[in-house]
Amino acid sequence: MTRRVKTTAQLLALACVAGLLALLVWQLGHQQHAPGVGAMAPAFTLHRLEGAGRISLASYRGKPIVLNFWASWCEPCKGEAAVLERDWTSYRDRGVVFLGVDYHDLASDARRFVSVHELTFPMLEDGSGKVTGDYGISQVPETYVLNRQGRVVLHLAGPITDPGFAVKFRSALAKAAA
Amino acid sequence: MLRFLAVVAAALALAGPAAACAQPRTSLAYLEGQVMCPTCHTTLDQSDSPAAQRIEAFISQKIDACWTTQRIESALVANYGQGILAAPSHKGFDLLAWWLPIVGVLAGAVVLAFGVWRWSRRREPEEPDDPAGSGLDEETERRLDDLLARFD
Repeated sequence: MTRRVKTTAQLLALACVAGLLALLVWQLGHQQHAPGVGAMAPAFTLHRLEGAGRISLASYRGKPIVLNFWASWCEPCKGEAAVLERDWTSYRDRGVVFLGVDYHDLASDARRFVSVHELTFPMLEDGSGKVTGDYGISQVPETYVLNRQGRVVLHLAGPITDPGFAVKFRSALAKAAA
Repeated sequence: MLRFLAVVAAALALAGPAAACAQPRTSLAYLEGQVMCPTCHTTLDQSDSPAAQRIEAFISQKIDACWTTQRIESALVANYGQGILAAPSHKGFDLLAWWLPIVGVLAGAVVLAFGVWRWSRRREPEEPDDPAGSGLDEETERRLDDLLARFD
């Protein structure tokens, strides 16, 4: 009897350790990283910030996409908003799609931001941060440029108005639209 | 008439603060410990990030508008998802987070009690199977008695 209890206790302890190890391995395997250049952009479907309905990334397959992650409380986002709007109006006729993804924000603040900066490209809300997590976003603003196949051609972790980033962004945009 | 208006004005002035909220106001200090900063993954009281500051401003504004704790938390969950709350909810899968520690403590107590019980049993002197008998057969016992008798 005692021997059986002892064996059961040992097996239980082993099972607990194995469970914790499995959890650790799972956690390590599911750590979110930014998709690198050449990788497929993670798929998503998000609610529109303004108006009803949802938008999925897959619905724009075949078109180059500029994916901009921003938040109303982010100071640099204010600075790049006008540049993004200008580029959107320049490139929309060439089939380039601009999508804004509002990150960890109050929807009312985000709508005010869009209105104040007169942004006209589609805006999506990711309040819970699930999609931004998939894209490895650690700060805003961050911008991805995707080619027609949905692969990442550029990732900028910072405002596109930064001198170094502006050149890269224009070049990637022109290449993607070609 | 003037006296009446003065009395009404005084009554309104005194009743104003009390009637401002139907129930006691919640506090920013309390909610700062209940709500997470979404970008830094700490509670608001430990964060100074722009996102945390914005949420604090939102909470203050809603407290001034007499919103209850539950209503403010619901509004934040609607914007940021369940992860904005520091404590998991009391339903569904989240219940595990509340019950598992209790189950763990109880299981630990049971294991500890069992261990103590076994340890205390082991320390008791073991009694012979047959306290009355010596375990020797009759012939050997008789011879042993004879030998011992010689020393008397």
